[in-house]
Order: sequence, then structure tokens, then C-alpha cells
Amino acid sequence: MNTLPPVSRREMLTRCGVGMGLLGLTQLLGNSGLLNPIAQAGVDSANPLSPKKPHFNAKVKRVIHLFANGGPSQVDTFDPKPALLKYAGKTLPVGNLKTERRTGAAYPSPFKFAKYGQSGIEVSEIFQQTAKHIDDICVIRSMYADVPNHEPSFLLMNTGESRLVRPSLGSWLTYGLGTENQNLPGYVAMCPGGMPLMESQNWQAGFLPGVFQGTYVDPRNTDIEKLIENIRNKSAPDGMQRKQLDLLAKLNHAHAETRPGDALLEARIQSFELAYRMQTEATDAFDVNREPKAVRESYGPGDQARSLLIARRLVERGVRFVQVSHGPVQPWDSHDDIEVNHRRLAGQVDQGISALITDLKRLGLFESTLIIWGGEFGRTPVVEMPTPGSNAGKINGRDHNHWGFTVWLAGGGVKGGTVVGATDEFGFKAVENRVHVHDLHATILHLLGFDHEKFTYRYAGRDFRLTDVHGRVVKEVLA
Amino acid sequence: MLLELGATLRQLLSTAILCCLFATNIVAADPAKTTSEAVEFFEQKVRPVLVEHCTSCHGEKKQQSGLRLDNATDFLKGNDDGPVVVAGDPAKSKLIQSVRREGDNPMPPKKPMPAEAVAVLTEWVKIGAPFPATNTTKITPEAASRSHWAFQPVRDPAIPVTKTSPDFANPIDRFVVAKLQGQGATLAPIAEKRTLIRRAYFDLIGMPPTFEDITAFKQDSSPNAFEKVIDNLLTSPQYGERWGRYWLDIARYADTKGYVFQENRDYPFAYTYRDYVIRSFNEDKPYDRFILEQLAADKLPPGDDNRTLAAMGFLTVGRRFSNNIHDIIDDRIDVTTRGFMGLTVQCARCHDHKFDPVPIADYYSLYGIFSNSPEPKELPLIGKVERTKDSIAYEAELAKRQQAVTDFRTKRHAEILVELRTKESIAKYLLAVAQLAGKDRQAVQAALREQLLRPAAFTRWQTYLTETAKKPTSVFDTWFMLSKLPEIEFATAIDKLIGELEDGTETTVHPRIMGALIESNPKSLKELAAVYGSVLANVGEQKQFRNILGAGGPVDVPFAEVDRLFDRADRDKQTALQKKLDAFTASSPFTPPRAMVVNDATNLSDPVIFLRGNPNNPGPQTPRQFLQITTPTRKPVTASSGRLEMAQAIASPENPLTARVMVNRVWMYHFGKPLVITPSDFGLRSEPPSHPELLDWLAKRFVEDGWSVKKLHKRMMLSAAYQQSSQLRPEFAQSDPENRLLSHMNRRRLDFEALRDSMLQVSGKLDRTLYGRSVDLFAKPYSSRRTVYASIDRQNLPATFRSFDFASPDQHTPQRFQTTVPQQSLFMMNSPFVAEQAKAVIARPEVLWSMTASERIKRIYHAILSRSPTPDESKLAVEFLTLAQEPKPSAGQLSPAELFAQVLLISNEFAFVD
Repeated sequence: MNTLPPVSRREMLTRCGVGMGLLGLTQLLGNSGLLNPIAQAGVDSANPLSPKKPHFNAKVKRVIHLFANGGPSQVDTFDPKPALLKYAGKTLPVGNLKTERRTGAAYPSPFKFAKYGQSGIEVSEIFQQTAKHIDDICVIRSMYADVPNHEPSFLLMNTGESRLVRPSLGSWLTYGLGTENQNLPGYVAMCPGGMPLMESQNWQAGFLPGVFQGTYVDPRNTDIEKLIENIRNKSAPDGMQRKQLDLLAKLNHAHAETRPGDALLEARIQSFELAYRMQTEATDAFDVNREPKAVRESYGPGDQARSLLIARRLVERGVRFVQVSHGPVQPWDSHDDIEVNHRRLAGQVDQGISALITDLKRLGLFESTLIIWGGEFGRTPVVEMPTPGSNAGKINGRDHNHWGFTVWLAGGGVKGGTVVGATDEFGFKAVENRVHVHDLHATILHLLGFDHEKFTYRYAGRDFRLTDVHGRVVKEVLA
Repeated sequence: MLLELGATLRQLLSTAILCCLFATNIVAADPAKTTSEAVEFFEQKVRPVLVEHCTSCHGEKKQQSGLRLDNATDFLKGNDDGPVVVAGDPAKSKLIQSVRREGDNPMPPKKPMPAEAVAVLTEWVKIGAPFPATNTTKITPEAASRSHWAFQPVRDPAIPVTKTSPDFANPIDRFVVAKLQGQGATLAPIAEKRTLIRRAYFDLIGMPPTFEDITAFKQDSSPNAFEKVIDNLLTSPQYGERWGRYWLDIARYADTKGYVFQENRDYPFAYTYRDYVIRSFNEDKPYDRFILEQLAADKLPPGDDNRTLAAMGFLTVGRRFSNNIHDIIDDRIDVTTRGFMGLTVQCARCHDHKFDPVPIADYYSLYGIFSNSPEPKELPLIGKVERTKDSIAYEAELAKRQQAVTDFRTKRHAEILVELRTKESIAKYLLAVAQLAGKDRQAVQAALREQLLRPAAFTRWQTYLTETAKKPTSVFDTWFMLSKLPEIEFATAIDKLIGELEDGTETTVHPRIMGALIESNPKSLKELAAVYGSVLANVGEQKQFRNILGAGGPVDVPFAEVDRLFDRADRDKQTALQKKLDAFTASSPFTPPRAMVVNDATNLSDPVIFLRGNPNNPGPQTPRQFLQITTPTRKPVTASSGRLEMAQAIASPENPLTARVMVNRVWMYHFGKPLVITPSDFGLRSEPPSHPELLDWLAKRFVEDGWSVKKLHKRMMLSAAYQQSSQLRPEFAQSDPENRLLSHMNRRRLDFEALRDSMLQVSGKLDRTLYGRSVDLFAKPYSSRRTVYASIDRQNLPATFRSFDFASPDQHTPQRFQTTVPQQSLFMMNSPFVAEQAKAVIARPEVLWSMTASERIKRIYHAILSRSPTPDESKLAVEFLTLAQEPKPSAGQLSPAELFAQVLLISNEFAFVD
């Protein structure tokens, strides 16, 4: 049983916008067919996505998760380690930690770092535009995960569990908060060009109702029909769909009149009107051409820029959770040629991130939006050795590293211009104020107004949490 | 959590289940702190720390210094010197001093506790060290079975007498009405005939009756008219398609494995399980037999029809969790125990079940049954395979692809053997065997991966050298002697040896080795290995070198071990070839059906408990046996996996859960709500049934009727409770808003299958073919098969399924959610599938050939809603058709009549069952 405030019957009526006689009130919650009464307490079956309040007031209302899938290297982005230079080409005095593959000598970052903002936090040249906003960003340099493999780490980052079927962060949040725009999906997962590794498991609803699952969108499609299934009508001549729905409403009302007090009948009547409006609204939301040219240009060219602009348009319209993965499978996975690859990958997104922050501020949304940037883990500060069948054997890339990596947060409730935690001298392992992925999740839930230990859902005899039996809120992140 | 705990307690107290009181029975150093918050803090934070770091020496087995930290009583006693905690004062508490490693008794002795764990314990002591008394007063299985209703034997309660005269003939009604009358309520009147037959059709076959079916029923005034309808529906093969799909929800059916890295994801034979289920319902297979077959068809006497082997798909069609065996078994335990018995055994994977009497040992007893039941490499063929031109062509192509895999393996094997004979390779393995001597398995595996060594070759060298070392050998004695020395002694020792070789004092060394040693003067073990490598690679075939390079020697790894010779690149290539083979099997329509079975392992072994669910943390052994709580007479099984014995224990009339759980599921699908509101959790935290006596009475009859599900349907459907009207009765709505007492029937919305199948049925396009391979429902041209035949990809479940609350194929689904979201309406308004059905309705001959507009409207109503329109409805229809004349439809768009048909197809009347 979860502890969300139960929806009062009157409240529900107001939300549904349904006028009904007193008779109907008594049966409203009862007549929900097969729905489990336990789930019912938290899931309003007639309108599961209606907005709800969290445990306590919070600034943040919506989330954009920029998922750098594949694992960006911390020592090349937000965690400078000059000590690596001293040992360039030599074995680290502390030895290498075990990661997925064989690693070798210290490999200093090929990129230059500089101090930015009043906070003077150092950021790599490949994120120099993002760095202009560093005073609004809280960099967690002491992240760690459980294993150096993509699959479990993707699931851990997105669902809090490495292997088993569990709801994703976005599903938990849409379950807990509903969404503010009923004409759009409450949870959108974007990835240009194809799905990330683990595919829809990254935005799965697990044991929560399917409506809380992320809607996958390939932002490379410009055709709205490919973005949202059945969004466009092709079968009715101009204007006829409205006439169909008018007739439908008449028939449905006549049907309902002889069956008083059934909330599900009313809910279904309403949902046709919602769907009708959704056709226009969703088309608008995904159509970036409706943005002024200057705004479009500020995000720069390419898939990433387009995704970020769509993300902004979605949160502006009240979508609760938007995940933007960088590209299909695991693009940030630079086992070889880290200099070329990381420069290219950051280049695809740096300007866009900077524009996104500027844009959210311009629209007054920055303080109520949480931006999360990071991968499923980081990379080794030492070079990866050739392994047949794994990499190209160039000895200029880095292996996976779950011992330490960087994630940054920006937006409402976040203490900007701060660095939280630290990795060791060489950036291998988080050593100071270590933040596990569960801790990150607890903190994100806190920022959205939830006590992660009380935000539960009963399934198969247990009360499940996003953070399972772990997690602590990282106070240093909070403004 | 707090609220909920309170609610649970209230609820349990009200039903006088006192055994649950353990939740508040707290022993604390400070009684003021005995809150449920404290319990939660203890259970979630403190106990895990104690279990992980302390109880292996201070627990059930060992009590070092007399201290035991797994229960409150012993904890309070402390160690031999007295209490180890001063409540509220961490600094003065011995326990805290120890874990902080202050003083002379640092704990744990070897490795300091992580700072977080120390912080947790400190905090705990600070708040008074509350220790819930769960472990000592813990409900034993016996205690729980004494009190919790669901663990009691099924009773045969007396049928109550109601105040109705004459009293109801159907005992179900007497149970229901007796309860209603207790609240001053009654059953609603019997529904009118159209409602009744529609209800029966949807309930049994998932599609509506035709206009003619309804007319015939209305005209049949015989007293058993409704019974005839039921009998008729129960013999329809479409019955199995409807009820089979319900069972597939329980069995978390899908046609794919989920994410599995590089291999092919299809389950090409999952459909044979689906077909087995449909066939079983159609044949009214006794439910106990249905259970036995799904768990252990391979252990039952083979009948004429080996298609029953497909029953074991119940176990094997689950997600594959990247092929993690522990998770696969966990999934099988869950589907078995929740599916058949409504018992959440999965909760005991990491610790004893917190609420139900399922100890962790019982979980691993079941684990052992499944871990001793692997899937065979080649699945058995089932049914009769007809040899046709197509099937012969299929076999030829299959053989070709199989050959490609075999060829690759043979070729690589030969190549690797050549590689193993090189001097570099010999040196590498010699060195590795020496360096890894005495290391544990995990360390060895890690080192082999790290050094790119082939495990089969390593093992072979290791065995060879161990054997060789048993007798003096002129070739290897030098190696054995030097390789055992610490690194710093190596140089001195070899210098001494070379000196002795040169001056002739040492003569037992083989001349070849001697020569090479003197010549290359190795300075390290690695260099020595290189010396051996060079010598052996050159002369290894000679007899005095013990045939090192010859047949049966250490580098002659037999083909049988080729998998362990492969490195990552080899494996990837092989997987790619295998994937081509599997993809062909999955996609060819001529692949003969196979059953997704499991079989007993050839080498049986008892499981061990994984402490905290961690396979790297093995605990004590536990026998393979069934659960104590349902089967007090259980016995450990040693001669087989124990699967059959498990199946028998579940399918037993003595099992208090099995029949009750199934009866409750069937009731749920007929009445829209189950008697026990959590159909897959009958444990201590579930709400008691709304009608406990009725549940037991039905369960008893179900078993008496030979576990016949069809008889169960009939029993329920012939009751007045089932046949009553669904009109809400305001006079009782206040006292029973959820209608748990059934003062009226629950109106139900069609699930996705019924909705889609019904559209196909009324449009006349339904393809009634039974059984067969799964079909993609969402590809054009749209399939007209029933929805139960849909191919289900659990990794990326089609969005339409998800929008319509389709059962999640990831885990067992006890009951579907029912949500209303605009995506459902978008499908109704815009999907080409619905438009196609609207067109097909209008293309039906009797609609097409209608002479007048009003005749046509009537025919459309007959086709879609199985009734005639009212005058008002006819008027609305005429208005719409007139209005819709302009604009004219362009190519592909719907005509006015088709637009009208679509409105009826998407109407509430179509989508709800009164």
C-alpha cells in the first residue's frame, strides 16, 4: 500500500470533469472492475495520470534526464585529474582496480580543463558551453555503481535494480505525481536513431500499471504518427471525426443515463474528448518548427539538439518525465580513440545542453525542472589493453568503471556551483562522500517531494521501493 | 509504511489473527522507543548489518564469547561479561567500541566494518537499541497454520438457510443471500434475457452473441434455456481460447526471452505451450492433472499424445534475465507458488518471509528442485510431423545451417590445438599453473580471463603436471623445484643448479633441459618457463618427454571440451552462426513443433541456502522438498529432482491453498471481483475472503467434481447471484460501496482481447482457425486471428497492448489493471484496424443489400450491437448519415455508413458487459 494521499471521490469527479448525480458518488471507487483495491488506493483507475501531490512540497515538478548511455569518462569531462600526467604511460602507484577488461598504464586526459563561473569549478573543454552554467550545476564526482557491465548498470541507473523487473524512475514519478497535461503522455523516453541498450526495459513500468511506462519516441522521426501511435486520423473526411464524436457522445450519454453511477462509463466518455484534443496538442509539442528560428538555432544542429528542444517543449507542456538518451545502444562507450570519440559525442550535445538551460530560464521553468546528466558508469583513468573480440586494440581508449564516476544535477532545489564528493587522486574510485546510484535516486525523489523510504507500492506480497532497502538523501546536493 | 502497518494490524486484529502481533512485540532497552518506526529502522538497516557482519560468529550456529545477535533475548543478555549495549550511549557500548575498533576487541576481527554500517549501529544504540522480538517469538509454520484461514484444511461448511421462501436451490445463492440479509440487503432481480446471454457469451468465449442467438434465447421459454446456452458455449472451441488466455496471464506467457545479449531472442516453440493450455481448457482437463503436467509432464506415464510435454512451457516461457540462472529459477519458483497457491515464496529469497511461514530454507528447497531440472540442449519433437516438400526443404536448410556451426567448431578446434603446441603457449600455461597453484576457483577464473588463457587447456596442463609430479621426472623435476621457490630465492637457486649441472654434480636432469638451461641462463620463473617452452615445443613428441605433444597429452584437448577452449572472439562468432540457425527455426513456418521441457539432471545435488540471497555467500545445505506450511508430511527427495513430488503436493486435495486459489480466480472472471481480493496472495497480509464459507464450499465441490473447471463455471453461472442485474442499487451503495456482498452484478469493461475479437466477430472477418504459431497483430495486412494467438515480445511489448492494460509478460499477473487513458481512444478513433472493421461491417451482405436507409441502419445495429435501434437512435443515425454526405471521402477514407458503423464499434455499449 502506498502512502499517497487518497483521491477523494469529489476530487476525482472534479478531475474527470464529469457531472454526476449523488447516486454516482457512492459507487465511484467501488466499481472499478478487476482493479486490486490495494493498487486502487494509489492508482485512480478512471484517470490514473491525474496530477497528485507528493509527500511534501517541492520546487521541482518535472525531470529531464540526459542519459549519456555508454558511460562517459569522468576524467575527460567534469573530474580533472592532473596527477595522471605525472604517471602518463606508467603504472599507477596504487594499481588498477578490476574492471571489465584488461587495463594498463595511466592515461591523462587529452582535453584541457579550465575554471568556470564564480564557483571556479573546472570543466573539460569538450563541455565548455555547458560549463558557462556551472554556477547552476551541482557536480557529484563521487558516484559509484555495482559492476562494470553495461546491461546491469543501465537497469540500475534507470530502475534501481540490476537484473529483475522493476519500475523505472520515470514510472515511479508518473505513478506518484501523475502528469500535468492529459493530452500528452506523462513520461516520454527519447533516443534518436534507435533504442538504447536494454531497450524498453529502461523505461519499463514493471509491476506498476502499463500506463506508467515511458512512451518511446525516436526524435529523428519528423512524422508525428511514428512518434505516437494512432495520433492521426486518416479514415474520416475533413471535419467528420468531430461529427462522429458528437454522435458517440449522444449514444454514450443515453447509454449511461440508464446505468447511473458508473464512473468507468463516464471516464471512457471523457477519454474520447481527451484523445481528440491530444491529436492537436501532441502534434504541436513534437513539432520543433513552431519554435522561433533563433531558439532553434541556439540548440545547434543534429539529433541531440532536436531531442533537447523537444524535451523542453514537452516539459513546458506539463510532461512529468523526459529521458533523452544520446543514441542507439551505448554511444559513449569509447573503448578506443577516446579523444576523437568523446570530443565528437560531447560536441553533439554541449551546445544543446547550454541552450536548454538558458531556454528553461527564459521561460521561468528552470526552478521547477530538474536536469540530470550522466551515464550508467564512468571510465577508467588508465588505458584499456587490447582484447580480441572486444575493442580495436588501439590502446587509446578507456574501459568501463563503476568504482567512480560523475553525474551532475541542475535546476530546482539543487545547489548550483557545487562539487559533491571526490574520487581518488587519479579519478579511479569514489572515496569522499560516496554516492551510490540508490543514493542518487533517493536524492532525486527528495527533490520531487518524496521520502524514498515511504514511497512504496505493494506487489506480490511486498512493499517495493525504487531504492529497495538502500539509499540516503545526499544533503550536500540540496540548495 | 506506518499507516499501512497500522491498517494491517487493525485489520488482522479484527479478524482475531493474533499471531501477527509479533510486529509490535518489541524488546528495547528503552521501552519508550518501541514504535513501529523503530521496528522498521531495525529491520531495514540494523538487522542487515548484523547478518552481514556479526551473526556468522554470534548467531544460531556459533556464539563466540557467548554473544548471540540474532534475537532480542540473547542480545539483551549480551556476552559472557554481560550486556554489550548501553541504550542511548554509543560511546559506552561495548558493541560500538568494538566496531569502531576502539580498545582491545576490534570487530569483526579481520576486516573493519564499512563506515556506513558503523553509523547505522551507532544511530541504533543512540535511539535506545530497540530489538524487535521477531526471531524468538517468530511464528512457526505450525503456529501460523493454526490461525491463518488460508492454511486451514478446506472445510465443508453447512449450507445456510436464508429468510427467503422458498429458499434458493443453488447453494451459492444461500451463502450470498445469507450475508446480504445480514446487512438488510437482497439480491437484485434477474437480468433481462439479452443482458444475460451477452454476459454468458463474453464470460465463456469472449465474444458477443449474434442478433439471432439472442432472438433464439428470448424465444426459448423452457426453464433450462440458460443452462442450454451455457452448455453450448462450454463445448465451443472458442471457450478454450478465452480461458486459456486467462491462464496465460498467470503463466507470464511471451514468445521471446527478453534481453539476452547476442543470442536469438525468440522462443520459437512457446506457442506449443499456449496451444496446450487452450486444448486443456477445451478438453476440461481435470485441474489437478493440469498442474501435474505443467510441472512434471516428463515424469508422468507417457500417453498416446506426447503434446502434453509442451505443458512444461509453464516453467520455461519466462524472462531469461541475461541468462542468470538464479533469477530464472526465482521466476519459476514465483510462477509456481503464486500461480497455483497464492503464496509469495519469492519473498524468502534473501531472508525468512517477513509475514508468511516460509523460511529461507524452504525457498532453497524449491530452488534445488529447479536447479536439478535443467532444459535439455535439444527440445523433444511433439505431435506427428508430416513430411512434405516444404518440410524436406526446411530440413535441408536447417542441416546446412547446423553444418556451418559444426564446421566452425571443428576448424577452430584444430587451429587452437596448433596454437597450444607453440613454445609461447606452452610457456604461458606452465607459468600460469605454477602461479595459480592453491588459488580458489574465482581467482583462477579471473586470472585466466585476464591473461587470455583457455580454461580447458589450463585444466589439462594442471592435471598433467599434478600427475607428473607424483613420480621423479628428469624433465620436470627442475621446474617443480624452482617454481615453488619464493621469487627472491630464485636467482640463487638457479645459479646453484646451473653450477652443479656444469660441474657434473647434478646428473638427474634431462640433457635437453640441461643444455637449454646452461645456454639461456634464465633469471626468473618466466624466463625458465620460456626455456621449457622452447624445449618442449621442439622435442615434445619424443618418448622420453612423455608424449607431451602427442595424443592424450596436455595440449591435446579433446573436441568435447571445445567450448572451454573458445575465447570471446570465438564465442561471438559461434553465437552469430547459432543465431542464424535459431532465427531460421523461429521464422520458418515449417519448423516442426517442439516442447519447451525441463528434465531431471543426471547428477543430482542438494541446494545450499544463499545467505541474503547472494550466491557468493553459500550457507548450509537444505534438502529438496516441498513447503512445510502446506505439506506437513513432506519428505526430502533424493532419487529425483523432486519436481513430480512438488507437483503432487500442489495438486493434492489436502493442499489448503490450491483449490481455493483456483476457485477464487474463476469467481473473479465471472463476477468481476474475486472473493479474496488478492488472488495471488493468500498469505497473512491478505484480506480475508468476503465469503469464507462459500469459498470453501466451492473448493470442496471443485475437488469432488474431479477438479472440473467446466462444472465450476456452470455451478456459478446458474446461480441467481450471477444472473442478477448489474444496475447499481443506491439503497445499499452506502453500506457496501465496493459491492463486496454482491447486491448487484458488477458491470465489466471488455479487456483488449475481447474488444478486438468482438470487432472481428461483428465485422464478419474473424478467422476461427485454432492453434498454431504466433502471429504479429500489428503488421499489415492485419491478422484476423483471435488475439490469444498474438506474438508477444516481452522486451518491447507493442504499445497498443500496454495502453489497454494487457498482462505484463514479465511476471505473473494475478489480475489486470483497468485504466482509462486517451491512447485507448486514439486506437478506437484512428487505428487502421478499427477502420477496416467498420468497412467490413458495411460490406456484410445483409447490410450491403439493404433496400432502404432505415433497413440498413437496423442491419448495422443487428450486426454490431445485436439488437434493433430505438426510434430515437434511428433518427440520430439518419441525421448523421445526412450530415456525413459532405465532404465526400477521398480514396481510403470511410463512407458515411462506415463512419457510422465505427461509432457503434467504439461505443460504450459495445465495450461494456452489463
